[in-house]
Amino acid sequence: MQQPESVRPLTTERHHPTGDTHELRPRETEQGNPFTFTPQLIHLHKDHELFEDGDITRHMYLQDLYISEADDKPTLSVSEFACHISGCSAVFSTLEEYEHHYNSLHRHVCCSCRRSLPSARLLDIHIQEWHDSLFAILAQRQDMYQCLVEGCGQKFRTSKLRKDHLIRLHKYPPDFRFDKTKKDRGTRETKRQQQKDTAMEVADDVCESEGVCEVMCDVLSNQLEHGESMETHVSQEEARMAKSDSTEEHADLSAAAHGAGNTSTEATKPRYSYRVPTSVCFGHGSVRGFRGRRGRRK
Amino acid sequence: MWRLNKVRHKAAGRHGDSLEELKLKRREHERALRQARRDRQLVSKRLLLNEDEDQPEVTMDTNSGEQDVVSLFHKLQQTGSEREARLKALSKALRDPSAQLAFIKQENSMHLLVGFLTGSDATCRLQAVRCLHELSHSPHTNVAPACLPATPYLLTYLSGQSTKFTELCLYTLGNLCPESDVVKEKLLAQGIIPALANCIENQRHNLAVVEAVGFTLSQLLQAKDAAEKIIPMVLASSLPSHLLSVLTPDPDFGLAPAIECAWCLHYLTCSTEDNRVLLAHGALLKCSSLLVSLGAAVAEGNKEEGMELLICPLLRCVGNLLSSCPVEDLSTQVGDVHIVVALCALLQAYLQTQPALARESAWVLNNLTAYSSALCSALLTFNLVPGLIQLLPFSQGINTMILRALANIAHKKKEFCVQLAHLGLLSALCATLKMADQEMVTLSMDVLFMLVVSGPQVAEEFVRQSGLSLLEAIQYNSKGDIRRRATHLLEHHLLSYSVDTPCS
Repeated sequence: MQQPESVRPLTTERHHPTGDTHELRPRETEQGNPFTFTPQLIHLHKDHELFEDGDITRHMYLQDLYISEADDKPTLSVSEFACHISGCSAVFSTLEEYEHHYNSLHRHVCCSCRRSLPSARLLDIHIQEWHDSLFAILAQRQDMYQCLVEGCGQKFRTSKLRKDHLIRLHKYPPDFRFDKTKKDRGTRETKRQQQKDTAMEVADDVCESEGVCEVMCDVLSNQLEHGESMETHVSQEEARMAKSDSTEEHADLSAAAHGAGNTSTEATKPRYSYRVPTSVCFGHGSVRGFRGRRGRRK
Repeated sequence: MWRLNKVRHKAAGRHGDSLEELKLKRREHERALRQARRDRQLVSKRLLLNEDEDQPEVTMDTNSGEQDVVSLFHKLQQTGSEREARLKALSKALRDPSAQLAFIKQENSMHLLVGFLTGSDATCRLQAVRCLHELSHSPHTNVAPACLPATPYLLTYLSGQSTKFTELCLYTLGNLCPESDVVKEKLLAQGIIPALANCIENQRHNLAVVEAVGFTLSQLLQAKDAAEKIIPMVLASSLPSHLLSVLTPDPDFGLAPAIECAWCLHYLTCSTEDNRVLLAHGALLKCSSLLVSLGAAVAEGNKEEGMELLICPLLRCVGNLLSSCPVEDLSTQVGDVHIVVALCALLQAYLQTQPALARESAWVLNNLTAYSSALCSALLTFNLVPGLIQLLPFSQGINTMILRALANIAHKKKEFCVQLAHLGLLSALCATLKMADQEMVTLSMDVLFMLVVSGPQVAEEFVRQSGLSLLEAIQYNSKGDIRRRATHLLEHHLLSYSVDTPCS
């Protein structure tokens, strides 16, 4: 039910007398400025919900039920925080929880395969070993696989050798989650099939409304659940997506979809849009997921 | 009269109720009132007790009550002595709802009462009006309308001088007002509004009567169609100026008359967006100066019992009058810029105990700051901004309103933006941008934009507070207009602050 409330817009630069019904004008004359705030006078009608509590107190008083000290302390509530990442429905009661969640699960994300790594270093290593074709070539001749332990510095010819090293010297468990090889990617676990795939749902919504191609939907639905950052899954499309040629293909598709779907500046600069296929990165390995352009952070 | 310094505390032990049971009853009652409000049926009646009564006593034995009433009625139809005593007994018996029903079922019962009401015996008149008052308070829907034949006389007597009698007439009329449209139309046709205007004018020194007038008028003004039929008549009368003159509470008598008049003014201001008549009477000036003194009292810790019953309607009047006030008149109509001090004091004082009142104060703050550079400046000068920023965690409408007010300040000039950033708004935004409430996020983005474009030092500070990574995360928000804001800021206003440039 609509609340009877009226809001009168104010033209920004000069004050105008009442009765003017100027349209809201953005403050800047810049093209495509998305910020819409202007000061607004708010008139509240008698039955507005904002007035409910005060009205009740008034009538309790009229009916001789008023007492100055409230029976129960009214609940003053504090805003919750919510993760911004579309598809992640995590909610928190403190900022610390939010930060912890974000730093653990979203910060170091590979934009090629959307895997979340716990640190910048591991992310770098991951990108290098999984998505860098140059690495694959060099690795045939040199020791390229770095030890994962910071400060160790040793390099190995194969990932198996590195793994042995990690187990032997650094006492790592044999199934260390952040050292899967590409060949370790198993089939998608059934457990995850049953989980509510919010990323998929959101993707569907977006796809339906924006008319994005089906292949993109598949890509998005293959995204990992955030809690299972290191679990692998295999699909033919994903294997394809990792290669740069199909990347461009999909970039074109997405750009076309964007062009049809909306007129925002994102159509030409898909870098930061959720709807951009995950494998589009400008310069594989240089822009890393959410770390973007601002450089390394400790 | 309802003197708050004699607030009746429901004593434990009455009717065998324990404190817990009383609490439960109150809570149930409150729930019923909330539902009634949602159904637009929120209506209350008042019962004026006898001098010798301390609490409304209702006899539990309804059968004898009904019998009493019937037998008393028969006896009263016969001429003779002891009529006063019998009428008094009748009025006591009529406290009971089933006795009320029994009485009006008797043929010619109302005729009898009206006879006494208009008779030559003053004491009988008083007792008769007491009977009518009890009837008007009935919970049964067909009892009060039965009192209609008496109304022209009740209205006539409003110009009389007897305090108790006039009070009873007024409260009886007040209880009858909300009964039905038929009743209201009759009362309007019989001239209730001029009668009330005359009464409050002639009896303005008699605060008990003034309170009763206020109550009765408030009952009329709450009608659903009041805006079309009733309010224009009220505004055309002398009532507005009288209501305003009563607003300042009398220290001896207490808050009650001011409370009633303030609620009348609230119903007048909220029912229409054109409040020129009230503005011309100086309503905004009066209400805002009163808020200034009340706010000052609250800030000193002088929270008089029941003060919020007066503060609430005053806040609403100021809020709604502001939305009708032409900008150029603002400084004369509002007068003292210390109104912002008062509002912030009220916000802080009532935040924990009455969050709704805090929310209404924040709303008024928004309306004050929307148009006026002077009031925005005052908030900065009086160093009220840090306190406001500390209220940004609180939800249910409080933080959104406060952020609007802060946005109003930022919107005025760049110097204000710089000051706001310096006072901690920037770091507060880094938190509010992470909130689940989308309105808060969108508002925060708009405020952030204003701050960032105000000067390079603000943009730098934002970057220092890890703002860039926050905006980058926001670019993955599911809402398009939130994403676009983040992208716009990054690409147009914070571009020079990123260390890495993409090698695209």
